[in-house]
Amino acid sequence: MVAKTEGGGRIPAYGYGAPTEAEVVASLARVFGPERGSEAWAKACRTAGTRAGAVTTTALVERCAQALAAEGGAFATVARSVDIRMRTYTRLAATAAAPAGGGTRA
Amino acid sequence: MTVSSDPLHDAARLQEIADLGLLSSDVDPILSDVASRAAASLGMPVSLVSVVLDEALQVAASHGIDGLWLNDVGGHPVEWSFCATSVRTRDAFVVPNTHVHPEHRTNPLVTQDGVRCYAGVPLISSRGFVLGNLCVVGMEERTFTEAEIGGLRDMAAEAVRRIEARRR
Repeated sequence: MVAKTEGGGRIPAYGYGAPTEAEVVASLARVFGPERGSEAWAKACRTAGTRAGAVTTTALVERCAQALAAEGGAFATVARSVDIRMRTYTRLAATAAAPAGGGTRA
Repeated sequence: MTVSSDPLHDAARLQEIADLGLLSSDVDPILSDVASRAAASLGMPVSLVSVVLDEALQVAASHGIDGLWLNDVGGHPVEWSFCATSVRTRDAFVVPNTHVHPEHRTNPLVTQDGVRCYAGVPLISSRGFVLGNLCVVGMEERTFTEAEIGGLRDMAAEAVRRIEARRR
């Protein structure tokens, strides 16, 4: 599942899509267990002005991740992972959308 | 889903990363010369001091990535990470030729970005947590000697000393 974005979809060459709410919730569960992970996500969503289960755009995922980062500690490291994954998607999607010859290799 | 047993997802390890201030950008200046020395001593174009998070690799300091997307982003997804292996094994990870490596020959960093060889050693905190790696990356096939890996280990130990000195 890929969150809705302005461009949408996956980047074929990298087989990579923007992080989704389901992926972030799964990440939190792997680190903190399902109960504590879900609680942390619900709190972050409330702080971001939405609710868990309704984070359907990349902009909302980013906002909730920022709220999660404010919790500090290990929660902030999970939030940083989301941030890096989102920035990777945005950067590579921009390159993929550039006219031929406008790409940048890493 | 239960808590993962993968060291990548260990909450105590991630807490150590946060406690050591490795999410802060002010760690770069104290580590960038270590990355530059690692690259120079092995004659490699790229070196990174990486912090391996649960689902992403963060570049804490680097040499040789100016103008690349990796520099713009400041990291990449953990499933593309060579450095994650050392978090799991607590040992050096060396890939002389990525094109024949079973895990990494299909890695987009190899197929799209041209990474051809890699050598990394873990950054292990005094509390015993693997924080990330000091690594070198090249675009040509290359073998690495024991002495070269030993040199990387010495520089990694220095990087950890510098990181931990900020905690005192």
